[in-house]
Formats: sequence, C-alpha cells, structure tokens
Amino acid sequence: MAHVVLKDLVKTYGSFKAVNDVSLKVNDGEFVALVGPSGCGKTTTLNLVAGLIPITSGDIFIGDRVVNDLDPKDRDIAMVFQNYALYPQKSVYMNLAFPLQMRKLPKQEIDKKVREAARVLDMTQLLERKPRELSGGQQQRVALGRALVRDPAVFLMDEPLSNLDAKLRVQMRSEIKRFHQDLKATIIYVTHDQLEAVTMADRMAVMNGGYLQQYDSPAQVFAHPANMFVASFVGSPAMSLIPLEASTANGDTVLTSAEGWTLQLSQPNARKVQRATTKKVVLGARHSTIKLHKSAVPGAIPAKAYTVEPTGDVTFVQAFLSGAIVNVSVPPNIAVAPDEQIWLEFDQERMHLFDGETEMALKAN
Amino acid sequence: MSTIAEPAPRSQARRRMRVDGWRWGGRIFLVFMLLYTALPMIWMLLTSIKSGFAAMQFPPQWWPDEPTLASYQKLLDPQNSVGQDFLRFFWNSLFVSTATTILSVIVAVPAAYAFSRFTFPGRNFLFFAVLLRNMFPAVIFLVPLFILMRAIGLVNTHGSLVLTYLTFGLPLAIWLLKGFYDNIPIQLEQAARIDGATRFQAFILIVMPLSAPGIIATAIYSFIGAWNEYIYAYTFLSKNDQLTLPVGIQRFFSENTTDFPGLMAASFMMSVPVVVLFLVLQRYFVRALTEGAVKH
Repeated sequence: MAHVVLKDLVKTYGSFKAVNDVSLKVNDGEFVALVGPSGCGKTTTLNLVAGLIPITSGDIFIGDRVVNDLDPKDRDIAMVFQNYALYPQKSVYMNLAFPLQMRKLPKQEIDKKVREAARVLDMTQLLERKPRELSGGQQQRVALGRALVRDPAVFLMDEPLSNLDAKLRVQMRSEIKRFHQDLKATIIYVTHDQLEAVTMADRMAVMNGGYLQQYDSPAQVFAHPANMFVASFVGSPAMSLIPLEASTANGDTVLTSAEGWTLQLSQPNARKVQRATTKKVVLGARHSTIKLHKSAVPGAIPAKAYTVEPTGDVTFVQAFLSGAIVNVSVPPNIAVAPDEQIWLEFDQERMHLFDGETEMALKAN
Repeated sequence: MSTIAEPAPRSQARRRMRVDGWRWGGRIFLVFMLLYTALPMIWMLLTSIKSGFAAMQFPPQWWPDEPTLASYQKLLDPQNSVGQDFLRFFWNSLFVSTATTILSVIVAVPAAYAFSRFTFPGRNFLFFAVLLRNMFPAVIFLVPLFILMRAIGLVNTHGSLVLTYLTFGLPLAIWLLKGFYDNIPIQLEQAARIDGATRFQAFILIVMPLSAPGIIATAIYSFIGAWNEYIYAYTFLSKNDQLTLPVGIQRFFSENTTDFPGLMAASFMMSVPVVVLFLVLQRYFVRALTEGAVKH
C-alpha cells in the first residue's frame, strides 16, 4: 500500500476547467471519498490518478513516485468501475486471472491467487460462470476481486455501488468497508452519494465545479462545513439556509428577515457576524438543531407548516422562512398538520453562519 | 428479452380475432415472398439437371424426365475446356473476393476503432467523407476509375477490381464496425489498461474478441459484394483467363450455344460459397445487425 498526493492538479478541456488546482494527500491505508454532484470533477480526478486521461498541469505521486506520465499499467493501481467492466467473454476465473496474466506470473501462482481471492469474496462456486450469468451483486464482487488479486498500491473505485438496488447497496457498503479494514488498503472512492462518503470514508473530499471545497473527516465536514455548498450537500435532509440581514444596536447583534422577524444572536455568534465584511448573513441549521413549538415561545420564530413527512422514526416538517425551505425533525408522537401555525427555535450553539456574498463559513477568530 | 403481457380477459376474444387477422395476412405475405425468392432458385436447380433438349421444351418439363448431373460433371472436369474455364473463373472470383475481404477487414477494423474512440482534427469530416462514395450510383465512377486504372497500369489485373471493391465495401464496413465499437463500453479497455495491458493489448485481447461478430458480418458483406459484382469486372478485365464468375459465365455461355443446363449449373455453383458462408456465420451476422438494439 502507498500514499497518494495530488499537487495543484488541473485538467482542462479547451476552455472548460474540469479540475481546478486540486491538492490533497491520501495517507497510506486511508479510505478517502471524493464526493460531489455530477459534473463536479470527481471522476475526472480519479481518471487522472488512474492515468486514463492525461493531466494538464500539476503532479500526482503514488508512493514517492511521480506518475504523471506513466501508463495506467505502470502505476500499480487497481480500479473498480461503476459498470464493473467485467470482460464479458471471459469466465469469472479468467476475469480474475487477467491482471496476473498481464504481469506474466507463473500459472500455479495465478491459480493460487485467483482461488484465494475467490475464497475471500465467497464466490468459489462462481468461477466458471460468465459475467452475464451473475447477479448485480455478484458482478460487483468479481470486480472487487479482480482489483484485489493484484495487491496494488492503491484501489480506485468509481461509484461502485450506484448500479445496485438499495438493499444490496447497503450490504456491499459494509462489505467494502470491511474489505478496507481487513486489507488496510489505500482507497480513493468516488461517489455522488454523500451518505456513502460519510459512512465509509476516513476523510472526504467534497468537490464542486472542479474545485476542492473541503477535505476533512466526515464528522468535521458535518459539524463545520467550510461553505454553503458543503453545508447543503452533506447531510440529509439538507441543511436549511436562510438569507438574513445583520445589524448591531445597543451591543446586541440581531439578524433581520425580509419578512420582518428578528433573531438575536448569542455572544459567540455575534462575534462571528461582526467580523464579517458584509451585512448579508446566511443562517444555516440542520433539521435536528431546530426546535418546533406549537405555541409562541420567546426567541422562536413564527412559521407555517408546509408539508409533513412521517418516516416512522422521525417526522420531517417543512416550512418557509425568508423564502428558504426549513427542515425540522420532530418525534413521531408530535402531530403537526399542514398549514398549522408553528414556532421555530434555533439552537445558537449548533447553528452555522455564512457570509452571504462569499458563501464561506463565518469564523469567530 | 421481454415477454408479451397477457391481455386482459375482458377484451381477450376481440383482441385474438384482430391479432389472427393480421397474423394470417402476415403469413400469406411471407409465403408470397418465399415463393418469389425461392422459385427462381428451384427452377435454376431443376434446369441444371435437365438435358439441353429438355431445358428448351415447351410446355416445360416441371420435373426432368431424365435427371442428369452431366452439366456439373462437365463444369468440374479440368480435362474439358469448359471445365477449365469455369474452374479458372471460380478461382479468379475466389481470389478477388478473398483479397477484398481481407484487405477491407485490415483497413476497416483500425479505422472504425479510431473513429469510435479517438478525437482528432477532421474526425467528423473524414467520417462523412468516407460515405461520400456511396452517395452516387456505382456506374458514375465507371469511366473515371477505368481511366485511373489505365493510368496506373492496373487494367486487366485483379488488383484493379480489389481496389475498386474496397471503395464500395470499406465505407459500409467502417460504419458497421464503428457502431459495434461504440457499443463496447470504454471502461472495458480502461480496466484492461489498469490491469496491465498496453492500449494495443487492450484492443487485441479485449475489444477484438468482443467485436468478432461485427468483423465477421463486415467480412461477409465485403465478400458477397465482391463475389457478385459484374459491371466493373466486365469493364476492367478483357482477357478470358482473368474473368471472374459473373462476367465469365455470362460471356462464355452467350458466346457458345446457349447451354441452359450448363449456365444454370454454373450459376448454382456460384451461389454455393455465399450460401455456405451465410449458413455457417448467420448467427454472427444477425447478432451484428441487431447488436445494441436491446439491453443485455
């Protein structure tokens, strides 16, 4: 296994910049998820690491080697594709053997490794089948097996779970996580599903528009999103982002809505807002940090319930504040009807404040 | 493959009536088409085993009174001058068609792959330019190509035919194969390259086997096109010992007495290689033409 370093990585297609100055380090044995909406440059970044497309500028290190100009076959990597890319004309056995044959290993050793991989992935009885005779989950496992027979320096995975049905996806998610723990493998994992990134990765690199937005542990990204994009992308349902106007009078800092209501900020939050260069502040709050009251409470903001979505464990209530959708979760025993008058109370300690112009998180220092 | 959904019971009776009406119409049409294509073939076969006299009779003998294989024996006898000519024509046709087929596959496979996978300046222009030749009737190029062939000294050589047939067959071969390569996910090659193959190995080891049905189909197209071609062979070749079968049969038998059983026997044998090719390779052929039509 090896670490991977991307340094000022750029990929342009004509005037379109697919990947913009991306720098990040993946430690030896670390599971890193590249996550973002489609077209954010995550798959391009992975293909650059794999060597499937040439880089425009910057450097890629695998281990201590610069691999910029190396062919994919010389990079000591293995890749799992979204559509698995199993060789349709070859049996499972030959699919697993192919990377070893290409490395001209002796026949007995190939056989040993293939059977070992098949045993680890519990598919010894499938070895003679053709890929089209396998279920989606089994094909997935063969693709994983073909990557792991090689014992490569880095595993690259491009949305390996997105072709599976929901139930199988959850199951394979834990299998891949287990696979990472057992092998202590360095894995770069591309996904558009923030939940996969949050649940599986040691660190997640959130990308948007070709730029790296934030690179940190899922817990940190969740608790301290660097900007409004990350805040709204990570977490489900998405963080509510309410555009407001800040003002300070008599030592009190308040946020005022265009709708007329005001919210007085706590001292630490007031300090953040005072340090901002703009009066436009966006208040971010996750569904679990907003308290729903059915009668007026000091500090709580009046709103009307718009939709109510019971999920069993928890009921999500949506309302509009300052033109923004606000998601609130309440215990299922609290009944809220659509169009019912409610009051929303924000948790000052767990709220997020963003610069309304730069969209960056406001910081206390 | 999808299954046809069961019709609702309520409308079952009426629906069956309608479907049956169409189905019978379809069957009658198919039978008509079958007769239309098969009867001339059967008549050819029957005539070929008649005697020369019986072939000329009117009203015709629907079934020959004295079936004979004499015409076939004559055509396949290398001691006989007729047999010598026929076998030479056959060999000439085989040579020209095989050479055309091999060259067309050798050129079309990499060309189609390049059109499918690489972006390069002028790619679209070139791709449609390839088709330009097929937008005009073949006869239009007859005189220009003849002058060209004379200028490069290829008149009265089989090379002139091979070159000409390539200009017919290649565009179609390239288009057919490109469609084939477009349907092979690029990830397969990427996976192969990551698994340790060079780009060329990925092509040879992974893509080529997958495109075998397409290659076979294009090869059959080229072969049949070259095998049956008449007008260019008639124009470019004048020496008797170079003629290909279509021209040879026509010229030979119209110059001599019109030996209908011999002509029919020769025609029948001419169609044998094509039919055999089809029978042996038909499953690839059908697969090639319908590839990508349904999700597998």
